[in-house]
Amino acid sequence: MGKKVFVGMSGGVDSSLSAALLVEQGYDVKGIYMRNWSQDLPGFKCPWAEDLADAERVAVMLGIDLEVWDYEEQYKRDVVDYLVDSYQRGCTPNPDVMCNEKIKFGVFAKKAFAEGADFIATGHYARVRYEEGKPAHLLRAADEHKDQTYFLWRVPGSVLSRVIFPIGDIANKEVVREMAAARGLEVAEKPDSDGICFIGPIGIQQFLLSQLERKPGDIVEFETGDVLGRHDGAFLFTVGQRKGLDLGGGPARYVVKTDTANNVVYVSADKTCPALWTREIVLDDCKWVSGAAPAAHGYLIRSRHTRKLEEARIEVDPRDASKARVCFDEPVRTVAPGQAVSIYDGLECLGGGIVSGNL
Amino acid sequence: MTNTAPENIYLDYAAATPVDTRVLDAMLPYFSDVFYNPSAPYALARRARTAFEDARAALAHCIGARPMSITLTAGATEANNLAFASVDGTVLTDAIEHESTLSCARARRHILVDVTREGFVTPSAIAAALTPDVELVSVALANGEIGTVQNLREIAAVVKAERQRRLEAGEAHPLWLHTDASQAAGALSLNVSTLEADLVTISAAKIYGPKQVGLLWASDDVKLRPLVLGGGQEGGLRSGTENVPGVIGFAKALQIATAERTQESRRLAQLRDQLQRTLLQEFPWAVVSGPKKSRWRLPGLLHISFPGLEARRLVILLDQRGVSVGTGSACAASKMRISHVLTAIGADEATAAGSLRITLGRPTTRAQVEAAARIIIDVVNAERQRLGIR
Repeated sequence: MGKKVFVGMSGGVDSSLSAALLVEQGYDVKGIYMRNWSQDLPGFKCPWAEDLADAERVAVMLGIDLEVWDYEEQYKRDVVDYLVDSYQRGCTPNPDVMCNEKIKFGVFAKKAFAEGADFIATGHYARVRYEEGKPAHLLRAADEHKDQTYFLWRVPGSVLSRVIFPIGDIANKEVVREMAAARGLEVAEKPDSDGICFIGPIGIQQFLLSQLERKPGDIVEFETGDVLGRHDGAFLFTVGQRKGLDLGGGPARYVVKTDTANNVVYVSADKTCPALWTREIVLDDCKWVSGAAPAAHGYLIRSRHTRKLEEARIEVDPRDASKARVCFDEPVRTVAPGQAVSIYDGLECLGGGIVSGNL
Repeated sequence: MTNTAPENIYLDYAAATPVDTRVLDAMLPYFSDVFYNPSAPYALARRARTAFEDARAALAHCIGARPMSITLTAGATEANNLAFASVDGTVLTDAIEHESTLSCARARRHILVDVTREGFVTPSAIAAALTPDVELVSVALANGEIGTVQNLREIAAVVKAERQRRLEAGEAHPLWLHTDASQAAGALSLNVSTLEADLVTISAAKIYGPKQVGLLWASDDVKLRPLVLGGGQEGGLRSGTENVPGVIGFAKALQIATAERTQESRRLAQLRDQLQRTLLQEFPWAVVSGPKKSRWRLPGLLHISFPGLEARRLVILLDQRGVSVGTGSACAASKMRISHVLTAIGADEATAAGSLRITLGRPTTRAQVEAAARIIIDVVNAERQRLGIR
């Protein structure tokens, strides 16, 4: 038997193919279904039952064990509560980043290694370059479009040296589906999961309103200070947002600023409104994959999973490696506080930070 | 494994039965031809009305009842709900009931009695739990998971004695005995006078009739109260335009079940016993749940556990080989809960987790049972080998 790998299986095509590839590569594979927190919605008795059943069918077909590990409590605390708290403070957090750090590459990895795993594996689109005796390097996936390093930059290199991303080298999702189909995996055609997994079909605004008090306030035009309408809570809005303002006609307006302390949402019809643009983003709570902050230099950054890589100069605070500034030559769209920025040197993800403000 | 698709062997008749072609033939004219609303005033509609009432009469005849004491519903779950709605006081039921009964009980003040390891609700357990404020006792005639057939007449005697006591003591609380006979209808006689219950639920879906068609029989003494309000059909107890083809199919299905019951039950019991013998011969360590005596177990049902193996995996492996069976473990996802029935009969976790519910039905052949037995043996052996269990 080869080295022991515990692979996180969600019942989706990516993790299913990952498991299949590991088996083919001769690893001693065990599948783990991570049970996360999910809201009980009327009409959805066991929202994750079907995903588990899919994972189980794949595991049976591959002849591997599948265990269910329950991370409901940790997930609720480290991901869901974090998300709600953050929104309450006027930030727009990224729960996937936290889920990877705290759950998949946190408690899951720890338990897997404690139970004898040599490696853990997931179906993420990312690559790892191993270096003997040193923390591993995190690289973007072969499929730039699907690359998920934006969600993985908080995972330390010391953990990554024991991580396998079996599909990170595959050119694109279509090939992944074809390879899954060729292996007879029934999930080959399963649609991609979309949005925040634990919220499911209801949408973030409705979810937040189910968790937080409704707090009516004014929607104010940024330039004039005129009150244009009302909202249910400034915490529900994010810079750049256009939908959900319900201002009843008129030109399309964007949220340019939210003030959760005074519960005001500022909007503008002007896409060139200075509040929407910045030359410098301030990062907090930075993490560096190798453990060491990068030297001040030109790098590539990503400020949204679906946004293009942008060139920027990174300046890490010499006294505190958890703080950094991202400086651009040309103005870029502002990034909502709480969002993540991942930083790259070429293909390599060096780490990133959480946006605390735009200068 | 071969590349050709395996023959499908369906062995989950307790979950759903195919509509018998004779039933379907009886139903077909009432979809597009005699489609009229039975309440409409013209002559054409009378054909629908007559056929519908004839079907009700046929159903009544099959269970030895009067037509007017039958309320037609959209399935057994609704009939159970209707039965429970007839009382205001505490209800008493047992721990291995179907979810529809348990949910009705939980929505009210209720008492749950334990069952024996074979799944029997004993008269003494009922007697001990029966408090003066209980107004309904509900015990299914046969359990759909482990197949236990209750001795309902003994339970009825306890209920009757309590009723007598209340009468003599001048107490006003009524007391009714309800039985859900859905799983039993194909195998047991359902004459309401010998059952000695006051309320009886029957489903068409379990006896090769259409789904979402059922009935509640109520004795004259019970005053039912409607849950579905509207146009006042079914004597105001169940509004909504009558399901004419469904009820006609139900009547045909119950007539066939009644006519073929004795012979078919014997045939199914023989096939089941053969399957059980074959599997136990191969796996003497396997555990069969439910009553040991064959006559107290539903004839086509075999609940068998392979402790140490995961039933949910076995179901997938059997599915890949074309064999469809149920698992004894409940909703796999809900915190890995095991079935409430297995918990109630005191099955340990390994036994519960490794249990399959195999139910044979009218289309099941000896050849299918033999083929299924071979496949089950293969699959169980493959899993044991994979897990390194000798």
